[in-house]
Amino acid sequence: MTSVSSKLPTDDVSLLVVIIDTNPLFWTTLNSNFGFSEFLSHVLSFLNSILLLNQLNQVVVIATGISWCDYVYDSSTCVSKRAETLLDKLEEFVEKDESLSTEDSADGVAPSLLSGSLSMALCYIQRVFRSGSLHPQPRILCLHGSPDGPGQYVSVMNAIFSAQRSMVPIDSCVIGAQHSAFLQQASYITGGVYMKPEHFDGLFQYLSTVFATDLHSRSFLQLPKPVGVDFRASCFCHKNTINTGYICSVCLSIFCKHQKKCSTCGSIFGQAQLQDSSTPDKKRKTPSQ
Amino acid sequence: MPQVRIVAKNFMDMVASLPAMKLDKLYDNPFICQAILRSLPPLAKKYVVQLLYIDVPVSAKLFEDWVLADGASKHRVAIDRLIQLRIFNQTLGRNRETTYRINQTFQVNLQKHIVHGGALPREPMPSNITVRLPSLEELEAYAVDQWECFLLHLINSSEAEKKTNISSSMMRIFQKGLISQRDEREPAKLTEGGFQFLLMDTNAQLWYIIREYISNSEELGVDSADLISFLLELSFHVTGEAYNMNTLTDIQRVTIRDLADLGLVKLQQGRKESWFIPTKLATNLSISLSDTSARKQGYVVVETNFRMYAYSTSKLHCEILRLFARVEYQLPNLVVSAITKESLYKAFENGITSEQIIAFLQQNAHPRVAERVPSVPENVSDQIRLWESDLNRVEIVPAQLFDEFSSRGVFDSACDFARENGGLLWEDSKKMFIIVKGEMFNLMKDFISRFR
Repeated sequence: MTSVSSKLPTDDVSLLVVIIDTNPLFWTTLNSNFGFSEFLSHVLSFLNSILLLNQLNQVVVIATGISWCDYVYDSSTCVSKRAETLLDKLEEFVEKDESLSTEDSADGVAPSLLSGSLSMALCYIQRVFRSGSLHPQPRILCLHGSPDGPGQYVSVMNAIFSAQRSMVPIDSCVIGAQHSAFLQQASYITGGVYMKPEHFDGLFQYLSTVFATDLHSRSFLQLPKPVGVDFRASCFCHKNTINTGYICSVCLSIFCKHQKKCSTCGSIFGQAQLQDSSTPDKKRKTPSQ
Repeated sequence: MPQVRIVAKNFMDMVASLPAMKLDKLYDNPFICQAILRSLPPLAKKYVVQLLYIDVPVSAKLFEDWVLADGASKHRVAIDRLIQLRIFNQTLGRNRETTYRINQTFQVNLQKHIVHGGALPREPMPSNITVRLPSLEELEAYAVDQWECFLLHLINSSEAEKKTNISSSMMRIFQKGLISQRDEREPAKLTEGGFQFLLMDTNAQLWYIIREYISNSEELGVDSADLISFLLELSFHVTGEAYNMNTLTDIQRVTIRDLADLGLVKLQQGRKESWFIPTKLATNLSISLSDTSARKQGYVVVETNFRMYAYSTSKLHCEILRLFARVEYQLPNLVVSAITKESLYKAFENGITSEQIIAFLQQNAHPRVAERVPSVPENVSDQIRLWESDLNRVEIVPAQLFDEFSSRGVFDSACDFARENGGLLWEDSKKMFIIVKGEMFNLMKDFISRFR
């Protein structure tokens, strides 16, 4: 009976939060035939195609710079002239980002503020969750290129776990040369798709084939599976990525060197050693890989 | 059980059944491509986007490799739909492989949309010409008002105060299948289909009317493809903006007057120019092609004592409730009614089913009770179902009566035989009567004749 029974929303209405990497240091290192403007034109086409798919689809774009991140586009507030609005806001953003990052750390490419934009995306999604019982299905797409900042380890992991709790998949598309351990873990934990395209010229095809798939259709389709996930953690003391380290038995903080006292929870490690000097009380962290 | 089904949602079937030439012509309009894409099943949409920039035929096997075992049926539905709508052209490539290629007009139109973003079908008029535009709330109220007025006229209700501009001949076409009138003296009666129509949600009703409208104007010589494309285009206008009437063709101008009577647009006359303002009903047209519909605020509270309180000022709501409940009294913003056995019997007689009534009550539950599970008290919904099954107490089965058995032995064995074959309906051992199902007659005859 078609009359009264079909009032449920369609399954494919989605809210897509796209996080784009605007790190200028990264974009200058990339080879010259695929620059930021080519990247943007692919992304804009992709956003248009998402909005084309369903009248109720919603797209939010968050720009990630070196020292701050901000919403640059929201399809629910801006109806016409999508590209112009987005580009204007993006330009403003980049200028402000440049003025904020004063001193230049000379050691390679500075990481983008992934943790900040992930948190902003999650905040936005929480607001949508609370706005009413009928909301689109949210997901996050990270278009990231710059290397991971080990200093953001804790905050990125926290963002990942809160995304997992609220059942928001984080898809990631890595544009840079090397894999990103953060995003591998993010997609693995939240059930999203992680992919590193081989040819950036066909970025739109990658985006439309893999990342345009709504959550409902994902249960019927074969999507790229992770080959291997880098589960390595960063130590809390020097923010280095480590293979083996020490872990606090109370609060699970990770350290690269033996400490007398946990800097996070304040537990004193020395006591067990006094009673039994043969094996130290610190558990050795073994990486899962 | 009533077998009348008002098919309202499959507007796309109507589009798909258009001849190939017309369908291809339809795709010249980018807005139609967009509306049709949005009406597709999710998987089909994905396939289209995936092939958007691929200019060579793609083998069917490639698609099948993507699909997991669970999705095989969904995949078939999606592909069938795409081929039916001529979005995918199926060809046999080399080595007898099935390949698909996206319709080129369709492809080019969507590519343009993706590169340039969503454009509007026509520019809204500047605000210095249009003096005073209605606010969105006013517009919404206007649309609801027009639509209700139309529906009241449609069901020939005496409650309708305002007159509608829709010609009586047009009205009669809409009423076809919804209302029947046996002879002139008798008041017209709603048919089963009519009742089901009233219980549908607004979008479904709207599409039903639009379908009738389109097939009617086809008889008058207007090309249905033109009309469909105009209606779909209309849904891409921005609600509440004014658009100049001069941008329309003559036929469209006639159509838009009719649409104004339905509440899809509001017409306004300025000093020199006239313009139309699309309402929510119009802009929702293409959304409702898929099953999505924005949930309306409910208004009905059903209590365990079979009392029903409807917080509504609408006369139409009152008329709908009257279909299956006894209205006890009406206050300015409240209709109090009771669900009684008699009122329900009247509804069942008219072909409304208990499930429809319960679904209607659940969907229109007042926000205060909608959070409760179940939103309609269980005793009420169970009782409605019981009363319906009460009506179906008598079952008619063709049967055969056997009597004048030669002896009790023959009678007993005949009874046993019928019972074993599951065909015994009734026996009277004193008078030696036995009634069996009709289809067992020959079997029984053979069995009894063996004793002779």
